[in-house]
Amino acid sequence: MFQGLANGFGIAFSFTNLTFALLGALLGTIVGILPGLGPAATISLLLPLSFKIGSPVTSIIMMAGIFYGAMYGGSTTSILVNIPGEAASVVTCIDGYQMALKGRAGPALGIAAIGSFIAGTIGVIGLTFVAPPLAEFALKFGPPEYFALTLLGLLMATLLGGSSIVKGLIMVVLGLLLGSVGLDPISGAIRFTWGFFMLQEGVDFVTLAMGMFGIGEILINLEKELTTELVTRKITHLWPTLKDWAESKWAILRGSFIGFFIGILPGGGAVISSLVSYAVEKKVSKHPEEFGKGAIQGVAGPESANNSAASTSFIPLLTLGIPGNAAIAMIFAALLIQGVQPGPFLITEHPDVFWGVVASMYIGNVMLLILNLPLVGMWVQLLRVPYAILAPIIVLFCCIGVYSIRNTVFDIWVMGIFGVIGYLFRKVDMEPGPLILAFVLGPILERSLRQALLISAGSPFIFFSRPISGAMMGFLILFIFIQIVRAVRAKWTRVQ
Amino acid sequence: MKKDKKFSLVWMLCLFLLIPVTVGAAEKFPTKPIEIVVPFAAGGSTDVLARMVAKYAPKYFDKPLVIINKPGGGGVTGTEGVVRSKADGYSLYLGYGSGHDLVTPHFQKLPYETFIDLIPVCRLSVHSVVMIIRADAPYKTLKEFIDWGKKREQVTASVSTKAGSVDITFQALGKATGVKIVTVPFRGGAESVTAIVGGQTDCGGNHPSEIISHIKAKRLIPIAVALEQRDSAIPDVPTFKELGYNVVTVGSVKGVAAPKGTPPEVIQYLSERFKKVCEDPEFIKSMKDIGQPVMYLGSADFEKYLKDGFEQYGKLIKEFNIKLE
Repeated sequence: MFQGLANGFGIAFSFTNLTFALLGALLGTIVGILPGLGPAATISLLLPLSFKIGSPVTSIIMMAGIFYGAMYGGSTTSILVNIPGEAASVVTCIDGYQMALKGRAGPALGIAAIGSFIAGTIGVIGLTFVAPPLAEFALKFGPPEYFALTLLGLLMATLLGGSSIVKGLIMVVLGLLLGSVGLDPISGAIRFTWGFFMLQEGVDFVTLAMGMFGIGEILINLEKELTTELVTRKITHLWPTLKDWAESKWAILRGSFIGFFIGILPGGGAVISSLVSYAVEKKVSKHPEEFGKGAIQGVAGPESANNSAASTSFIPLLTLGIPGNAAIAMIFAALLIQGVQPGPFLITEHPDVFWGVVASMYIGNVMLLILNLPLVGMWVQLLRVPYAILAPIIVLFCCIGVYSIRNTVFDIWVMGIFGVIGYLFRKVDMEPGPLILAFVLGPILERSLRQALLISAGSPFIFFSRPISGAMMGFLILFIFIQIVRAVRAKWTRVQ
Repeated sequence: MKKDKKFSLVWMLCLFLLIPVTVGAAEKFPTKPIEIVVPFAAGGSTDVLARMVAKYAPKYFDKPLVIINKPGGGGVTGTEGVVRSKADGYSLYLGYGSGHDLVTPHFQKLPYETFIDLIPVCRLSVHSVVMIIRADAPYKTLKEFIDWGKKREQVTASVSTKAGSVDITFQALGKATGVKIVTVPFRGGAESVTAIVGGQTDCGGNHPSEIISHIKAKRLIPIAVALEQRDSAIPDVPTFKELGYNVVTVGSVKGVAAPKGTPPEVIQYLSERFKKVCEDPEFIKSMKDIGQPVMYLGSADFEKYLKDGFEQYGKLIKEFNIKLE
């Protein structure tokens, strides 16, 4: 193994591979920052170029760089302008944007970059040492397990709402309803499309998120007096202070481990891990009331979790030949076309590819840290741009981003409608975060529930009889039970 | 009046500008890159086929082929996009003969007429449906599986999508054998392979290219192919027909189509050049490695083949009385 890793570093440190790793990291950061353009679309555009590169190792090093580089960049727009670049950065908006409003965008961006670096590296270490057994563990996750896990994620999303659980629940239910638009995942029946063919595949996540967060935020700001510096009234610190670091170091570590395990699961690994991390931080914090008002742990934890998840999502691809998400599926296709079959024999048949890519990920994470830290200063300066100029630019980028997903103007209209809805939610003080997360998790929940019931011939016992899903369901029931007991007790003591 | 004059002047100018362009186009196709729409997600078997063709195309085509993924609606969204685009040969559909062309029209009306609004250019490959089981399952052959299944209330089969070629095959197999097979739809071939590898279902169906690495790793065993003849990508696996069950389909056909009204000489150019790609020894070898047979057919033969395949699915659906819930 160490021999393999040493050889891998030999390959990764060649001039060409270093150049392409840097190119990938750079492209990934840009793609992560630009709303709409995701790593999967970018890799797809660059596929023809990768054949020109010739060597499979070099092209995969570049593509992997784009994928995990995008995770670094994803938090930037969440923190600065309250637009999540991807599903895994929705949670970052909550406290990240609040920090920016308080003039602490610098520390938020800094801690996100440092957390991403630590978590990314922990993820790669996991990929190096325990990939095969972890992949076997991931295979144990069938429909019942996904159902229990997403249910857990939904519970966390409800609690995100902050002040009011009722408001959180309302948003979660709305999100679930929105998520059911389009083809029924099991029977293929058409639901809630109102005759629009474009709605058959449902509402697109990016379109919804940009409308609710981006456009909605801009609309509400139009009501305010247009001061020149709307977001940053003052910049107190450019870098995280020692106190920030002390507050977030455990959050980073916890986030890394949460992302590490949940990231292995094909499907919504990165999203669920960022949610779980946020909920855990809120639970263990001595000051949970600060969450939602700019708690640095609320940025450090989830941003670490999604990066760690990005690294470990390579495990099912490289050890089993199973692509877990759209970007990884593109890398899967690229490997196939270059004559490398991803799967159990990859390590023995193409050790140069496996170890070369793994080693490049260590280097790539260092590159991204060096690349992103100086950018923090630049991004914070961006907030000094008068809002009257910044806002139209944001709208323009949102439109381009949304259009680029499916090349249709229809989606821009959809974004506009959700922008207005997002504005109305802000007027009545409803946090859109839980809605978006429920929208992402809802389809997974529905599909896995119905698949599980098909497998069990309709018996719900399947969720409790299998060890992993049984344990998660037990935890869920216990958690809800404790919450109820607490609420009742609080009321009782007040009565007395 | 004055306004009108201005307008006509603008129109005249436009016309003058147009003339050299159209003349140029009539001279020699192609003058710009050719867009190939894959109506499925990137990384799937159709996408890999398209990108493999695009990789070898520059040797034989005068302009590059650009692959565009437009997934959605089981393939209908992307295909409709090609149907509605200009019939000049610069926008083609790759995947002609997939589930939404041959199977879905038997159940629901599409926003276009598959066999009228599209002209077949050529066939490139056929992705057969292979029945797979886990290597550690208590059954090793189709016969053992059926004996085992008959004793049970139901058996489950993971399929890539509802009412696709794989789903229809398993529904037909259930009716033909008397085993109650419940198909569990997943989101695409990759997820359904993961389910069967993880032992979530009792059996599954996939295209050879999706399972070839798992067959090599001896995690999965292919037990039967739903084709008239054996699939050259996995020549050792018998057909259902050989094993005594009349479950025969054309699988998922992967051909190229152009919108109705595309000039015949353009169709001819395209099918000739695709033929050259399909005869390239390196291309054939790369395709073999990823488990996709190269099965070229020219425009006229392909058209007949598609219509036969469509009727065959119709017969299967009627014979076994398959309905969408």
